[in-house]
Amino acid sequence: MFSRSTACRGAQRAARLQAARQSQRRGLASPASGSFQYEAGEAKGVKFASRDFAGPTTTLALVAKAGTRFQPLPGLTEGLSNFAFRGTERRSTLRIVRESELLGAALTSYHSRENLVLEAKFLRDDLPYFVELLGEVASKTKYLPYVYSEEVLPLIDFAHKKFLSSVTDMATNSAHSLAFHRGLGTPTASASQTPYTKYLDAQTIEYYSKIAYAKPNFALVANGADHGDFSKWVNEFFDDVPAQPIEQSSVGAEQTKYVGGEERIAHDGGNAMVIAFPGSSSFTGKFYKPEIAVLGSLLGGQSAVKWSPGFTILGNAATPGVKVKTTSAIYSDAGLLYTTITGSATGVRDTAKAAVEAIKKIAAGEISSEQISKAKAAAKFKELEHGQDVRAGLELTGNGLIHNTQAYQIDEVAKKIDGVSEEAVKSAAKQLLENRASVSAVGDLFVLPFAEEIGLKV
Amino acid sequence: MSAPSLAPFINKRPWLQRWMKPLANWYCNTAGYRQLGLRADDLLPEENNVVQTALKRLPPQEAYNRVFRLRRAIQLSMTHQLLPKEEWTKQEEDTPYLTTIITDIESEMAEREDLEAMVITKRQKNANLGKSH
Repeated sequence: MFSRSTACRGAQRAARLQAARQSQRRGLASPASGSFQYEAGEAKGVKFASRDFAGPTTTLALVAKAGTRFQPLPGLTEGLSNFAFRGTERRSTLRIVRESELLGAALTSYHSRENLVLEAKFLRDDLPYFVELLGEVASKTKYLPYVYSEEVLPLIDFAHKKFLSSVTDMATNSAHSLAFHRGLGTPTASASQTPYTKYLDAQTIEYYSKIAYAKPNFALVANGADHGDFSKWVNEFFDDVPAQPIEQSSVGAEQTKYVGGEERIAHDGGNAMVIAFPGSSSFTGKFYKPEIAVLGSLLGGQSAVKWSPGFTILGNAATPGVKVKTTSAIYSDAGLLYTTITGSATGVRDTAKAAVEAIKKIAAGEISSEQISKAKAAAKFKELEHGQDVRAGLELTGNGLIHNTQAYQIDEVAKKIDGVSEEAVKSAAKQLLENRASVSAVGDLFVLPFAEEIGLKV
Repeated sequence: MSAPSLAPFINKRPWLQRWMKPLANWYCNTAGYRQLGLRADDLLPEENNVVQTALKRLPPQEAYNRVFRLRRAIQLSMTHQLLPKEEWTKQEEDTPYLTTIITDIESEMAEREDLEAMVITKRQKNANLGKSH
């Protein structure tokens, strides 16, 4: 037991400290806060952005406009991503690995629908080494046939197998392809073996690298680096990167159109259903609608608080044991608001019905303003947390730089969310129901409902 | 896999190379493998890791041609025959298609050995930092 006086003293001290700090502390989303702001620049045609986040480490990323949306042949993005940090003309794979291990760094490469990201995390002092490394990877990687067959191909094959065994991935990708057809609808992993048996080889990947790593098509983003230093090193190490893409590829360049529809895939590895609606583009894009983010967190499904289903409508409506999650996926010129439901077949069926009913309720205005303000707070928190999550911030910023030469400013996004009115949320929900939905069911098709059965228009 | 060779020494001196070249050509033609349609790199002993890896890295067409040449040579050797003269390997065809890959692999292995044997020292700045604490 604590004696009363000790507890009190602690509390007093805390209060005093609080008062002393008050003057120096800045609210995360307040206009005065500079911590989230990226400083953008350009060096010899290479776009870059950085923010000097206090701390001993730096995260550096090369974000290239080479996600699955932009690949001219299936599988190229994956091939390029797996060729990253392999042997270059100046260093072997082994040397790159050993050197970065000695510096205590971590190297990764991954891709999303729109971007290919090469990422390095390291100690602050090593910035020049890693800027040079990324420059080398972009311009001097040797795309050797045996490296492709020995090291790259097995990884693509694993990704393909992983994709096939995950019902959630299949449903999400199927919903995307229903919603956007080509471009954004291209699955992020190979859905069949055709891409890499028919279209892919080392030479094709090398050719694509000259498009993906051309100066207009990528941006460098650093988190935790001094802007002056960073611009100096970018200036120095990106001379050998092609100034223009070897061929102007128009794949994925056209404005994304929303289509919608329904797909049902039989699968014995579980049950998943994705119900998707047209959403909001990224803040850096032209079709930014902050109310979609609020609607997403209002529908929600995942609880933010332990031992409670949370305030979200789907969190309360879901059948026990079923996992529900609403995501507002934002891309440069379109978005998708989708609810993923996974669990037992009957649970998924009932929850899907409840989800559609919930949207109808919001559209009809049967929702308390308290819930909307909770949703707004949650959406704002998610956005700001997302901004602190270095990885997401890097990709979004790079994406913004490549497409509109504008960085993703989290503070402003948070402000926009603050300004969403109740009516906006309700009318957004109404609009969802007027559009065609994209519904994808993967699993036990005997039980899983058709879109029409749960009251959706497809 | 490589035996000690005078070739680099000779190649560095153009006058010596000019003098040795006809002799080398004469030797290669007399060695007899060209009459069986083989190339010099087909004769490399392949029972070791380096050459096995190199063989795996050959492009498919090259690998097929190599096996074809070897089988034809074995067949000829068994029947105690030579190829007709127009099918003998010509000097310009006798390229080191495997040796280049083998040198790559050997340098990779040497690099690995070097990295394994590396002695790590602290950067001067960091070392000084450590002392001040």
